[in-house]
Parts: sequence; structure tokens; C-alpha cells
Amino acid sequence: MSVRDILSAENELTHMLGAQQAVVLSTRVRLARNLAGLPFPGWAKPAQREEVATRCLQALTALPRFRRGHVFRMQELSDLDRAVLVERHLVSKELAGAKTGAAVISRDQTCSVMVNEEDHLRIQVVKAGWHLRSAWQLAEQLDDGLAPRLGFAFSDRLGYLTACPTNVGTGLRASAMLHLPALCLSGHMDKVTRGLGQDGLAVRGWLGESTEAAGNVFQISNQQTLGHSEEDIMKHLSAWIKSVVEQEWNARRRLVADEGEKFADRLARSLGVLRHARLLTSAESMNMLSHLRLACDMGCLPEERRSVVDRLMIEGQPAHVQALTGAELDSDARDARRAAAVREALGEFPEVGPPTE
Amino acid sequence: MTQVHYCEACSQGKGATDPAVFKLADVLSAQSASPSLLCPSCGFSDVDFRKRGRLGCPVCWEVFGDALGGLLAKVQHETVHHGRSPAGSAADPAVLRARIESLRRELDAAARAEDFMAAARLRDEIGRLESSLKPS
Repeated sequence: MSVRDILSAENELTHMLGAQQAVVLSTRVRLARNLAGLPFPGWAKPAQREEVATRCLQALTALPRFRRGHVFRMQELSDLDRAVLVERHLVSKELAGAKTGAAVISRDQTCSVMVNEEDHLRIQVVKAGWHLRSAWQLAEQLDDGLAPRLGFAFSDRLGYLTACPTNVGTGLRASAMLHLPALCLSGHMDKVTRGLGQDGLAVRGWLGESTEAAGNVFQISNQQTLGHSEEDIMKHLSAWIKSVVEQEWNARRRLVADEGEKFADRLARSLGVLRHARLLTSAESMNMLSHLRLACDMGCLPEERRSVVDRLMIEGQPAHVQALTGAELDSDARDARRAAAVREALGEFPEVGPPTE
Repeated sequence: MTQVHYCEACSQGKGATDPAVFKLADVLSAQSASPSLLCPSCGFSDVDFRKRGRLGCPVCWEVFGDALGGLLAKVQHETVHHGRSPAGSAADPAVLRARIESLRRELDAAARAEDFMAAARLRDEIGRLESSLKPS
């Protein structure tokens, strides 16, 4: 199994039309876990990290969920393959750069586990749309399957022990990826971000920690991991996600009412540019595809076209463009290749009409 | 508008200056002025923590536990775990009884410190654990 198989295989985020939703792109649950009696990866000696990798990979591949899945050792992959996995959110940038880093990914790409990242194990479940409950249940199953095999570092007082004090306790980071074009267009995103921050939630960009928000896509997650049960952390996040989704819809309705023809005009112009451009940078295509996604949500374009837009957002990222072309490309060549792929995919798109939502 | 969040290590590389969030290690260093703590299991010291903002191994949590209390209160707003325990261990009555005992000690401390919110939470947690000890 190679990274190229990941690109061509059907998976939740690019093929599950039924699971797609306006506003919430995906739900993610992540658990940080460490093996008792061994130093954390950042402080461990190479032989200890190797021991961790061997034990973890053995335990992971024994789980039914990872049967016929993918196992990748980072040092055996090319730079490009590692970058594709990062863009897919299947591994982090930190893991991609770790010599003894490894990842096990389920066949449907819903579950992935990073080995020797900041912690020995980072268990991750991603579902398309807003499905926190089922994502959590999968993560819990994996956690329960691994605990007796590996013996996790745990203290009654502090919970699951992690390398960084910001993860100790539950080790749980629950998050949603949200598409918030109207809150951005109307200038309210600052206020929303502040509100979330004051109530213990973090707002990040498309690729998580230390990335910027391209295409009006934001990741919202819990910051505190200690002192609240998993149930409470998820209830708190759910309440806020519900509220942000409502605020986004209100902002959309206000934009439609206030802007009249200007609303559809903006979206139609983006479709025009995307259909005809010969060069598209990653940021430009993300921002214009964000308009097309909004057009699908608002009835300006048929809703079933949303899956095409989502696929282009994922496949327009730099490493994806190169992997799909089958060659390493410089930035200009990537922009040309990206524009060609977008032109081809949007050729059949109907015109942007007035909003019906 | 863009808001990004960096950990201690990354914030230095990126030149981030938000003191409230990123000065994790300073909180610790303020509490232990001299590099005097050493983990017997992995050799990690408080000086290493100041440099890295990460701990060396699970045992470090015991070694640096007292010093980390203030840091945890600051970044997590809480200092005691409430949540899952590894599969198998939660069902073990001996582990449960030990946990109840340790929570009782924390409850006494909270009551002495007149931290009534913490005390109420601890009391709830003890009640929950005690009820799970009884055969259903």
C-alpha cells in the first residue's frame, strides 16, 4: 500500500456526499496516549523510540479496525508523500519530520494513529460533517483496544500523562472544521473568535496548529484537557458549534437581504475566474472555491455540486497537485496544473443563480 | 483576520509574544529558581523543562508535580483529572478505593482552603465513584 492509494481510495471527506453538510466540513476527535515506563518521544533515545514504534505498530495492526489498512514509517516515505499525508490531515507536520515517526491509517481513512509524535500515540478519528458522538465512539473503541495491550501512563490524580502539560488529563482534543464565509465577509469573525477564546475554545486555520485560515475554513477545538470529563468537554464544544453554525446562517441571511444582486454577483465572479484562469495559487483557489461552496449551500448552484467543490479544495493543495500529476512541480507549474484541474471540473457547472435559501 | 495558537517551543520560532499563553516554562522557573529537580527515571531536569516546555517521561509528572501545580492551574484552570481511566483499571475495586481515598484528601485540602467550588466538585466525584463500587 502506498500513499498514492490514499489519493485514489474512496474516503469520507472526498466521496461521502450524503455525509456532507453546509458549514461543518468535518468532526475530529484526538486522544494523546503514552506507554508507561518509557520516555516521551522528544526525550527518548533512538533505541527507545524504536521500541515504542515496534510495540505500538504491533498492537495497532492487531486491531480489527486497521485490518487491510495502511502502515507508513515516515523515514521510508518521500518528502512529497509525507506532504500529501499532512494535507490530508492524516499526520501532523511534526510527525512528518520525525525520523522514527510512523502512522497507521484505516482503509476508509476515518481512523489514523500517529506513533512517536509529541506523545507515543495520537489516536485520531475524522468524520465528514458534524458527527461528534460517532467519532468519539470509534476513538473510545481504539483506546480500549490498545490500553490492555500497551499499558498506558496514567495517574489517578492527573489522568493520562502526556509530554506537554496542555494535553494532560483526558488527552482529548475534540474539534470541528467549519466553513464560515458569511461571518468573514460581514466582519464578525473576530468577535466570534474572541467569544470562543474566552470560553476555553481555540480557533485555528485549515491545517490545524500554527496555520492560517484559507478559504474561510476554521478549526474550533477545546483547549483544556484536565479537570473536565470527556463527556463535558464534548457537550461544551457541541453547544458552541451549534451556536457558531446558527450565527453563520444568520450572517448569510443578512448578507442576502442587505446585498441583493451583489451577493450572487460575487459568487458568479468567482465561478467565472475559476472557469477561465490559467494560473491559480493555492490561496486564491481556496478563497474562490469557498464562494462556490457558499453558492451550493444557498441554492445559487445545485447542492449536489458541493462534493466537487470539496474535492477541489483538498486536491488543490500543493502536494496533492504534484502527487496527482505524478511529478514534482515548481510553484508556477503547480499553479498552471491546479488551474487546469479546476477548469476541467467546473466546465459542466451551471450558471450561478439567485439564492433560494 | 487570523488567529493562530502556538505551543511554547513553536512560539519562540515564530516570534509570538502573547505572555498569558506561552510563558508556560516561566511559571515553573519562577517556582524553582535553581535547577534542582532531576527525574530519577529519565534524567530530565527542571532546566530542560524551561528549555522545552515538555516533560521527559511519565515519572517526571511525579517529580515535577508540585512545581507544575501552578502551571496547570494557569494553562488548564484545573489540577485534578475527571474522566476516563485505561480500560480494565476502572473496574478494579482496589484502584477505585485508592482514587476515592486520594480525592478525600483533596477534599479536605479544598475545604481547608475554603475553595468551595472545588470541594463541591470533589464531593460529587467521590459520590459517583462510591456508587460505582457498590454492586448494581
